[in-house]
Amino acid sequence: MQTIQFPGAHSALDPAGPQATAIKAWLWDPMYAAAVVTFVLVVAALLWAAFRRRPSGEPSTDLRHERGLTRAVGAATVVTVLVIFAVLILDGVVGHASTGAPANALRVTVTGHQWWWEVVYPGHSADEVATTANEIHVPVGRPVVIELRSTDVIHSLWVPSLGPKRDLIPGRTNTLRLQADRAGVYRGQCAEFCGAQHAKMAFTVVAEPPARFAEWLSNQRASPAPPADSLSQRGQQVFLNGSCPLCHAVAGTRAGGNIGPDLSHFASRSTIAAGTRPNTLGNLSGWIVDPQSMKPGTKMPPNELSPADLHALTTYLESLR
Amino acid sequence: MSSTIPAPAPPQDGRAATTVAEVVPQLEETWRHEPGLLGWIRSVDHKRIGTRYFITAFVFFLLAGLEAAVMRAQLARPENTLLGPDAYNQFFTMHGVTMMFMFAVPVMDASKLYLVPLMIGARNVAFPRLNAYGYWVLLIGGLFLYTAFFLNTGPDAGWFNYVPLASSQFSPTRRVDVWAQAITFTEISSLVAAVEIIVTVFKCRAPGMTLDKMPLLVWAMLVQSFMVLFAMPWVATASQFIAMDRLVHTHFFDVALGGDAILWQHLFWFFGHPEVYIIFVPALGFVSSIVSTFTRRQIFGYPAMVLSLIATAVLGFGLWVHHMFATGLPQLGESFFTAASLTIAIPSGVQIFCWIATIWSGRPRITVPMLWVLGFVVTFIIGGFTGVMIASVPFDQQVHDTYFIVAHFHYVLIGGAVFPLFGAMYYWFPKVTGRMLSESLGRWHFWLFFIGVNLTFFPMHQLGFEGMPRRVYTYLPETGWGPLNQLASLGAATIFVSVLLFLINVARSLRAGSPATRDPWGAATLEWAAASPPRPYNFAFIPVVKDLGPLWTFPGQLPAVTGIRTDVRDVLLTTLIGARPDSRHRHPKPTIWPFMAGIATGIFFITLVFTPWGFVIGVPLLTAAFIGWAWPRGQDHREQMSVEAESALGVSPEVPA
Amino acid sequence: MTSTPMELRPVASVADLPTTTFGHRSIAWWGTIGFIIIEGTTLFICAMSYLYLRVTVGQWAPAYAPLPDLGVPAVQVALMVASNVPMVLVDRAARRLDLTAVRSGMVIMSLLVVVMCVLRGFELAALNVRWDENAYATAAWAILVSHGTLLLVEALETLAQTALMFNRRLEQRDISAIADGALYWYFMTSVWVPLAAIAFLTPYVAGP
Repeated sequence: MQTIQFPGAHSALDPAGPQATAIKAWLWDPMYAAAVVTFVLVVAALLWAAFRRRPSGEPSTDLRHERGLTRAVGAATVVTVLVIFAVLILDGVVGHASTGAPANALRVTVTGHQWWWEVVYPGHSADEVATTANEIHVPVGRPVVIELRSTDVIHSLWVPSLGPKRDLIPGRTNTLRLQADRAGVYRGQCAEFCGAQHAKMAFTVVAEPPARFAEWLSNQRASPAPPADSLSQRGQQVFLNGSCPLCHAVAGTRAGGNIGPDLSHFASRSTIAAGTRPNTLGNLSGWIVDPQSMKPGTKMPPNELSPADLHALTTYLESLR
Repeated sequence: MSSTIPAPAPPQDGRAATTVAEVVPQLEETWRHEPGLLGWIRSVDHKRIGTRYFITAFVFFLLAGLEAAVMRAQLARPENTLLGPDAYNQFFTMHGVTMMFMFAVPVMDASKLYLVPLMIGARNVAFPRLNAYGYWVLLIGGLFLYTAFFLNTGPDAGWFNYVPLASSQFSPTRRVDVWAQAITFTEISSLVAAVEIIVTVFKCRAPGMTLDKMPLLVWAMLVQSFMVLFAMPWVATASQFIAMDRLVHTHFFDVALGGDAILWQHLFWFFGHPEVYIIFVPALGFVSSIVSTFTRRQIFGYPAMVLSLIATAVLGFGLWVHHMFATGLPQLGESFFTAASLTIAIPSGVQIFCWIATIWSGRPRITVPMLWVLGFVVTFIIGGFTGVMIASVPFDQQVHDTYFIVAHFHYVLIGGAVFPLFGAMYYWFPKVTGRMLSESLGRWHFWLFFIGVNLTFFPMHQLGFEGMPRRVYTYLPETGWGPLNQLASLGAATIFVSVLLFLINVARSLRAGSPATRDPWGAATLEWAAASPPRPYNFAFIPVVKDLGPLWTFPGQLPAVTGIRTDVRDVLLTTLIGARPDSRHRHPKPTIWPFMAGIATGIFFITLVFTPWGFVIGVPLLTAAFIGWAWPRGQDHREQMSVEAESALGVSPEVPA
Repeated sequence: MTSTPMELRPVASVADLPTTTFGHRSIAWWGTIGFIIIEGTTLFICAMSYLYLRVTVGQWAPAYAPLPDLGVPAVQVALMVASNVPMVLVDRAARRLDLTAVRSGMVIMSLLVVVMCVLRGFELAALNVRWDENAYATAAWAILVSHGTLLLVEALETLAQTALMFNRRLEQRDISAIADGALYWYFMTSVWVPLAAIAFLTPYVAGP
């Protein structure tokens, strides 16, 4: 397993990429400042209007006062219109930063499932395709274009530190352009209510230097090494002879299920159950035996295993780097 | 000789009366409320029906508030176990459905149905039986929804019920069908109330109350009623579409067979965005009424205020796609909706500036209703600012579906509608009940509520930026969202206490509050001319107005018209533009048929939750109920044989037997 | 317990105003307009949903389903348009308080509306698809069935009003209801023309 940071950075106010930076610097910051100033002005005007000293008696309907008030209201309206216009301009400026698909972009396809993320890196041929789950690696400083699909309901992919979200809609393909300018681990979470375990459908984006990323990708493209020690080998047998292959796939074995996440390089991932827990032996054991306790409603059934079998199985899975 | 034969006495129908004392005894008899439970069910009095609507809506407010309290208790700590995901998903859905459909719109319906006829000098709404029917439909829908909830079959796919999650494939239980039909009841009731108000305002205004002499509250209710007419059918149709997809296998939203998941979002939000203005615009009417009375002047800039209401309503129909900015729609289209969503801030701004100008130039008295108005401005504008921010597509694409949005809409809805509503309650409670609420308890209520709301919802802006999505039953401790959630939950507890104080205030005042005079606040509008509470017929004679503030212009005695019958429930209709007396119209007596029609409607839609045979059962029942309702009883002999006045039509009045 | 209302000083009398009016002077007419707006919006939504699915997804007839027949639909459209002639005559008779003409006219309208309902059944068959086959079928059925609901309501209202006209205790104001029913009839028949065009002719229009 990876010992990288859990759960990863996740703040739109601490942007790590150009999209999120543009949104914070050119939209949030100026609009927030304008909002604070306007709030103070309006509340001050309101309180002054309500509590200022004035002569008692019937209110004056003096035409001069009414004209003065008309000018004041008119001026305030004009200022409002100008502020609105300024926001419109800022919006136009930032809008263009988040679109487009540059030629040097890395392409990734993410397919949403209830309640996990299937991540596929395309290649020039079938055995160059890398399939993983719940973790997206990207090279620092290079634009990434993510193609978004869904097999069941609407999900939404969102990495607050990096940029805007985009929905994954059955029957359509959406694209999202992101980029990480700082190496690091960034947390994302599904942002469209998708059923029972919407709350625990997170994922991790790992931004690393281009050389490290290339190394990671070629490892993901290759089949995992066969289990070397006897415990892992026993674990592989437990895996293949149990119900696991019905839903899960491991490249290089006869396990080819595609209902659940691909486990070929399971041990290279930092979390399990879509970002619900760090990927450790203990957490994994708990998950396999009773997934419902960690994610009630999840589609993975509980598995009754002897302690020895469980130990072997988890050892095997943690060998799939 | 002929001089010894007495001339026939003029008909004893009150039309010749010239003093109030002559008409009141017969009016009291003709318009009296029938006693007992049966009389209560058969009532067609807009004030009784409005009161029912109000109490029912407020009960739903309390239920939805309790749901929120449980949700906040669950979210106060990470990985809390108070509610599991299945229960939580029902709770947050029920909270949204109850607040939006069972409380917010019905409470505005209640207010307009009660206040508008009084404010325009009318005796009742235009269609008294339809009004009664609208209430029964709401009640049955609400009971149905909550029965389902208590049986663990409450809707659980969110108050906007997106497909494909809400399709039968991914929501196989009856929960979504309950949603689809329960909201149908509320749609019918709000459409009924809208038709009532539009026709009442158009045709039943006091003589002299031309459109430019209508109180701003009446304008607000009129504009809002038009919005309801054009917006409600969208959700009504959409919910029947999803019901049919689930019940009889149509394919509106079925991606596999040519349907589209995004169609649902367009249909829903075309309703959903105007819906929030349907809730907000009446509250603007409350604010204008309160500010005018407690500054002792008419609201500054009446034409600008009216145009702002209309602009808000019209623009409100052009914003809906801003709820869909993350779905991947074409950029050019999105830009239009950004511009429209920004523009709608302008009329709201104009109104706030006009109110401030009014307060500045008037003689403000900071009573409890005015406190709520001040609180409204402060709270609502915070939501308004975040609203301007999320009009921008890239910014919205960061915060959409996060707690930032939860913060935004609670600020505008609570600030923009609930604050004015509480203000309205303190303001009109004396008129409705004849008693005053306690001012000091009112101040405690206000301050605790104001503090509680800000404590609950302000931290949520930050939570949204830190990555917390909406509709999550729990979150990991490692996210660091715990402390702000705890603060929000503390705020929710504060709100809970403040509402409790309000309930205590109401209970005590109903029993032993100081008696209210006809006009305890020194207000200008016609409802304050009626007794507190008003008699069933509202006014002994229909008042005549010549400006916006009849009670300030004619202190002590209002001009009025006579000539309306007192032996039947006669009302006056006036012309649309000039408000000139045009005709008299006979209103129905109390009747059981609206209730029967409500029952038939209930059977129809509830059966449809379970089987399409609901159509076959329901249609004959509804037909029978409406025939029973509309079939004339020939009660008024004089109308059957009437010769007088029909000559105005220039035709033979004889109707052969 | 109640306080004293404000004093009122009579300045004019409305005793001589009529009690039966027609058209925009009558509140039932306005109520009819209100329901026309509601139901018109609903029909508009069905039409828009049909066109949205056609343009956005596009799995439509003739590629994904058979073309509809046009014979029966054409008859229905013609019948609906033509029926406005007797309806106008009945409307005018009602405003003249000519009960005899109203009675016979309403019997004719009752027959017409029953025929229209029967034809609606045949129009559904003319679509040549069942509602549950695909989204195109669903959208087409939605237009016909939602307008069919209007037709059903109009049928029940027309039959009930016809029966009412033979009631011995008829009041003058009840005849005003005939004019409101006529207004509804004009709406129901004219709105069908664009709806029928959308539902039956769109598959014949080639497009993306």
